[in-house]
Amino acid sequence: MALGGSSAVHIQSSTLSSSPATPRTPSSITIHPVALFSILDHYLRRTDDQPRVIGTLLGTRSADNTTIHVRSSFAVLHSENDEQVAVDMEYHRTMYELHSRVTPKETIVGWYSTGSNLNTYSALIQNFYSQETAPHQAIHVALNTGAEEGEEAGVQAYVRCVSLRLTGNARVVGTGNRYDTERDLLSSPVGVFPKPENCIFVPVPVRLQFQDAERSGLDLLTQTAIAPTLTTPQPTPSIAHLDATLASVSQMLDRVLAYVRQVLSGEVQGDKALGRYLMDTLGVGAIGEKGGEDKAFNASLQDTLMISYLANLVRAQAEVSSRLALVTS
Amino acid sequence: MAATSMAAALAASLPAPTAAPAPAAPTYEAIPPSMSKVIDIEAEIPLQVVQLDGLVVTKILKHSREASSATVHGLLLGLDLDGTLEVSNSFALPHHVSDEDEKSSKSSARYQASMLRSLREVQADDSVVGFYQATSLGAFFNQNLVEIQAIHQDKLRHGGVVIVHDLSLTARGNASFRAFRLTPSFLDAYKKANFSTASLVNHRLTFSSILEEVPLQVRINPLLGSFLGSLTKSTPSLLPNSAPESARNSNLPPSFSALDLGTTGLTRNLEQIIEAVDNYRTEEGNLAYLSRQIARERARADNYVAKRKEENLARVAQDLAPLPEEDVARLFKIPAEPSRLESMLILGQIDAYGKSLESTASSGLIKMYGVRSI
Repeated sequence: MALGGSSAVHIQSSTLSSSPATPRTPSSITIHPVALFSILDHYLRRTDDQPRVIGTLLGTRSADNTTIHVRSSFAVLHSENDEQVAVDMEYHRTMYELHSRVTPKETIVGWYSTGSNLNTYSALIQNFYSQETAPHQAIHVALNTGAEEGEEAGVQAYVRCVSLRLTGNARVVGTGNRYDTERDLLSSPVGVFPKPENCIFVPVPVRLQFQDAERSGLDLLTQTAIAPTLTTPQPTPSIAHLDATLASVSQMLDRVLAYVRQVLSGEVQGDKALGRYLMDTLGVGAIGEKGGEDKAFNASLQDTLMISYLANLVRAQAEVSSRLALVTS
Repeated sequence: MAATSMAAALAASLPAPTAAPAPAAPTYEAIPPSMSKVIDIEAEIPLQVVQLDGLVVTKILKHSREASSATVHGLLLGLDLDGTLEVSNSFALPHHVSDEDEKSSKSSARYQASMLRSLREVQADDSVVGFYQATSLGAFFNQNLVEIQAIHQDKLRHGGVVIVHDLSLTARGNASFRAFRLTPSFLDAYKKANFSTASLVNHRLTFSSILEEVPLQVRINPLLGSFLGSLTKSTPSLLPNSAPESARNSNLPPSFSALDLGTTGLTRNLEQIIEAVDNYRTEEGNLAYLSRQIARERARADNYVAKRKEENLARVAQDLAPLPEEDVARLFKIPAEPSRLESMLILGQIDAYGKSLESTASSGLIKMYGVRSI
């Protein structure tokens, strides 16, 4: 489930053997949908003169520090123009303190910005966030909203590297000359000195992650996204939901059936791998004796009917009881 | 008790009703005539529908899934426009520890105030329009909810709504959000703090008439919609000959959790019904005890009055001055009739459990026949 482009590279840090006090560089990042959606909301609410918005990412780290789970995010005020960049630090601290009261486990892991251009200011902000997350590395998530023409929506995550051997398309940002990634970086440890405005952003693979139980909420949103008015009424009864799911299963079966017919009539060359998968899937149902299945079905049917009866009984009793309370002598 | 102090904290933090809507200050431009019908400064247009933003949906889901405690609360922020209450943002309230005191309720109020202030700075909506609560198996009736909502309906413009999110239904693949408000008749009785039988009869209150449901819609903005579209787009895998599960890459593979045949929630549901019924019996026992006591006291008082009357008759016959009759109230303290609110709420819970059990059973039946036919 990789988000965004495939330009992420796995880097091998040349400083692995160096001091063990510095934690390892994160090598993969997962993002919870709520963080992404907050960023989009923040982007929508920006003022007209803001080309991009930034904010803080909160989350947890895996025990060995190689994976960072971004769990939520909040907006931070900032302003940037040709001469300077300013981030409202006090605001950032207040919000972090407020957030940590509800979710104490989540700490600052990095920052986000919209748009995909990394510049000197990004390096400066990155430098600031590295201080906030010390001794761990800060990560940077660039979310492309896809609102501008010709740009595709997507998410990129970066970590900052100070001294690395690189084999991919890391983005080097600094004052003065731009480095030619291929030649300069391969040949030597990078000649970027730890000045705050100098920075290499190395892409890291990023995935969308959420719990299974939250899945249905996302389904609801994707359904809403295809609806013409961008709204869906709630609550949907579970029967209607079941109906929709069954309909989509039956649609899939139709597709498979159509494909099989096409293969049989010789219109399409059959795919052997596909045939094996189909056989595996259909074979599962045929196992087991006929009689035992019936018995189990009947027992289960009786249980279900009993529960349904019981539920109705309970509800009727509750209703009667509440009416009786109103009857006065 | 946690509920009361939490309600107090909420009350302290809420802005005064006049402060909540943006008043038409002289610096504002005149409202264009096309909008004058839909903007109501006086909050006169009744609420027709609640619109829940996609962001809020995910926020509530995440909060209720992660929270350690059973009850999860948060505030809803948004605007109302032409009868539609648009909920555009929300934030979680910190969980309250059991040893509740004045200090922590104050700090909770401070938390809300500074959160609202912070959100205003980044141009987010900052007017409270209600709160949300997570529940499981549909039983959301409790004192806490009623108390907070009663305060909200008093203080907030349009009275605010409570959005109830059902965890167990969501786990079964059908994310469920419902919006409620208290009915006027319940609010009236609640304000008078009078839940005696007579009051219940007067207000025609049963558990089903405590809350009225407001239609709810989920809405997502076009930006989020397009982003979701690019998330769900599946691309063929780069690897040749991969297994069917990995043959196509998608951030959101289709899920069929609704077709799950397992009945994991069912036993829990039954247990909870039994628990609720037990609670109800205890509560009924208390009520019966109290009403017996009342009846006993009243009988004694009546006896006393009758005796005094007889005595007086005898005294009048003997031309003596009658004894005073008005000290009855002083001699016998007839306890006030007990509140039936709690038992009513428990009944509501039982009903909700029953309903969710019923729907589980019926959809289970369909699934079973579905499996059989394959």
